[in-house]
Amino acid sequence: MNDITQADRGSVTSLMRWFGVDEAILSRVLSEALSHGGDYADLYFEHSSDSSIAMEDGIISRASTSVDRGVGIRVLVGDQTGYAYSEDLSLSAMLGAARTAASIARGGGAAPQDLTPKDHQELYRIGRHWGDVGVREKIPLLQKTEALARAADEHVEKVVIAWGDAEDRVLIANSEGVLTGDLRPMSRLWCSVTASKDGETQSNGWNIAGRHGIEWYDDERIAHLAEEAVKRTMILFEARRPPAGELPVVLAAGASGILLHEAIGHGMEADFNRKGTSIYATMIDDKVAEDFVTIVDSALHPNERGALNVDDEGNETERTVLVDGGVMRSYLHDRISAKHYGVKSTGSGRRESFRHSVLPRMRCTYMENGPHTRDEIIEAVDFGIVAESFTNGQVQIGAGDFTFYIKNGWLIEGGKITAPIKDVNIIGNGPEALRRITMVADDMKLDTGGWTCGKDGQSVPVSQGMPTCLVSQLTVGGENA
Amino acid sequence: MREELLSRAHDAVRMGKAAGADDVVASAGWGRSLEFQWRDDKVEKVQENTSKALRVALYVDGRFSSHGTNDLDPERLQRFVSEAVELTRALEPDPYRKITPAELYEGRADVDLDLVDPDLTVDASGAMTREERLDWIRRLHDAAHADESVISATSGMMDSHSLSARVTSNGFEGTQERTSLWFGAECTIQDGEKRPEAWRWIGGLHRDGLQGPEEVGAECLRRVLSRRGQKKVTSRRTTMVVDPESGAGLIGRIFGALTAGSIQQKRSFLADKLGEQIGSSVLTLTDDPLVPRGMGSRLYDGEGIASKRRTIVEDGVLKTYFVDTYYGRKLGWEPTTGGASNIVFGHGDKGRDAIVSDVQDGILVTSWLGGNANTTTGDFSFGMRGHLIENGALTEPVSEMNVTGNYLDLLSRLSYVGNDPVPWSAFRCPTLVFDDIQFSGL
Repeated sequence: MNDITQADRGSVTSLMRWFGVDEAILSRVLSEALSHGGDYADLYFEHSSDSSIAMEDGIISRASTSVDRGVGIRVLVGDQTGYAYSEDLSLSAMLGAARTAASIARGGGAAPQDLTPKDHQELYRIGRHWGDVGVREKIPLLQKTEALARAADEHVEKVVIAWGDAEDRVLIANSEGVLTGDLRPMSRLWCSVTASKDGETQSNGWNIAGRHGIEWYDDERIAHLAEEAVKRTMILFEARRPPAGELPVVLAAGASGILLHEAIGHGMEADFNRKGTSIYATMIDDKVAEDFVTIVDSALHPNERGALNVDDEGNETERTVLVDGGVMRSYLHDRISAKHYGVKSTGSGRRESFRHSVLPRMRCTYMENGPHTRDEIIEAVDFGIVAESFTNGQVQIGAGDFTFYIKNGWLIEGGKITAPIKDVNIIGNGPEALRRITMVADDMKLDTGGWTCGKDGQSVPVSQGMPTCLVSQLTVGGENA
Repeated sequence: MREELLSRAHDAVRMGKAAGADDVVASAGWGRSLEFQWRDDKVEKVQENTSKALRVALYVDGRFSSHGTNDLDPERLQRFVSEAVELTRALEPDPYRKITPAELYEGRADVDLDLVDPDLTVDASGAMTREERLDWIRRLHDAAHADESVISATSGMMDSHSLSARVTSNGFEGTQERTSLWFGAECTIQDGEKRPEAWRWIGGLHRDGLQGPEEVGAECLRRVLSRRGQKKVTSRRTTMVVDPESGAGLIGRIFGALTAGSIQQKRSFLADKLGEQIGSSVLTLTDDPLVPRGMGSRLYDGEGIASKRRTIVEDGVLKTYFVDTYYGRKLGWEPTTGGASNIVFGHGDKGRDAIVSDVQDGILVTSWLGGNANTTTGDFSFGMRGHLIENGALTEPVSEMNVTGNYLDLLSRLSYVGNDPVPWSAFRCPTLVFDDIQFSGL
């Protein structure tokens, strides 16, 4: 593989060479997959190579690497799925897995179409691929972050820095002639801080992440990471729990996109709607929010965790408008649901690895800017809270109940931010929360933290963003009923 | 397969030593599973999984790293291990990181934990056929779908068989094998604008002793129908009864604060509490790795330490922590085991229904939704759904509410532990009753 230059390492030709396959082999395996008469088959070759390093108690104390590779073979008959994978990429092993996947169908054979290699846009340009960056180059990033966090406040007792990077190669071929691939980088730097003050201990952390190369982790970003991690820990010594009950909640710009992810994003994934199990199943073209609410899920933001050149079914990716000017417009589709609804796929078919079948998933979910300003929004709240950083979220698709956990936030009294709050869960109902978005500011930003979304036991990287906005009422899990 | 995995692990130890490692721990694993799903009127998905992988942990010049791969091609594996040893040399020496002392391997229990159902192994002659599996999930589905308000029901079953072998350069050798079978259903009903859902999944390492598909499907349907008209009620302090299946989501969180790692890193609200009362006198927790057919049963832990039964909390008093060798050395403590196996509760003599009938006013929690816990301070806040309890009976379904507090306060309010633990979880939690808990709603 020495002759492959930097630029074309993610090309279909290079990826075929990497996996040791050619068009003839791919067609042979696809034919076997359709030997019982499935409507469609696809092959998903994947080679992922991960590396992580941790610094604890002042030393670079451990590292790990992992390699995982194989091919997932999927056969569809209508919306029925047969799936098998092989970690062994020999022709005989792949044919065996293809026969297993084929068993979902009961009929005669169909022939796959000729494969036509297709390259695509490049949304994750980085200086060097992670496979070419040695551990010695990464270690100084951890050491710099650690030193800055330790020096930032005399009360800091423990600092743990964790680094992770990954390089994921995929090659996708299907029975309709699509042959494409992708080379996906990912990286993340975490800073966790524990501090003690007057006999009390608090801990918190911050991280920065994306489909970035090592050059992205410059001194300015590292300084900001260490500063945020320490600041968000020290504020907890002053923070209290807010009162329990229903309150106006101001969602701060950035990570608050978690509300969109839980309250609407999952419910707009078309598999739930195809099955009728989502609360949004009959709401397309309904007015669900104020005119100034536009919600988007896009794969096209360069270097974001949710960026995708092609989805995991080989479809082109796009910017999908879920809610346009308050009107519900489109679900997020994979192949099965797009076929079910008779629409074009939104390029939202994703999977955790070659071991998993495809599901419609979010990529980068955010709300577009609105007509208000942050100051106007804070001033409009007599008594409520600001939600600023988060550590968890979940939703019940059908009932529409969603939650997110606030790690840092603020109390608003008389239109002014008065005191920090911490460690409190917020719960609401999706369609109700959408209706209750009464103000949206003009300061949209995507969060730089590393979010991972779980569904049906599969984790995929996602991004989210938000302008400051006001939800007039949500249930805050506070104290003192 | 057992012999193959052992030989792969021995080979990997040799490769690591040859590449210059002082000590090597290698584990080779293999697993196979079959999944079937049924939705509405037909098969939704059939999936077959087979995996084989190798992991090595390397101790090189006082430095440490760990590596895994499923690319077992001998030449590439050799290169992978050599590169891993080189990578380790680039790290910093850590005086606390050493291979598990061989004496901790000693005393492995000589018992059969009965973790393998011969009919669930790959080459079993008594294994269910494809037709039997499809019939099973169709019956499950039909029982879950048996009400006109049901919009969609999905049923499924998954059985698996796995084997692992662990070998170290200081004389450890062991293999573990287990099977399991899981099945259940998820169901959604129309209820006005809302579409409440519920699920019921059960499982075990053996097939015998499990309920049949009709009972499991019917329980799923009963659960979802009980959600009709769910709504939030006013914020209140009241008695909280936690269903056995929801106990792990609440109490399981404290185990993060019981590890030597969290204590050494000052992220445990239970540090400095050894020998002290951390809960009410009805709280007794045992870590029992030797439960026959237990989901968390094992003869040795992840570091090779021979498994022993240990009392963690007795009558509310904290007796011991989970101490692995690394953080044990940092703290100067004797290692015990790095993490929980099966957690068994000391209990009373009543199950959930009898317990509820004794409660005048309260809320039964049947599931959690999101939320989180802070193991440094013990603060927690979770979303929940469940039912009001009025005069000893379950009444309205409640949802969209939060339960918020601090674990030390919560555990002191534990007033009763039921006799109905979940058998198919390593966290064998029964019904729990807590007095005077904060719920937030309207």
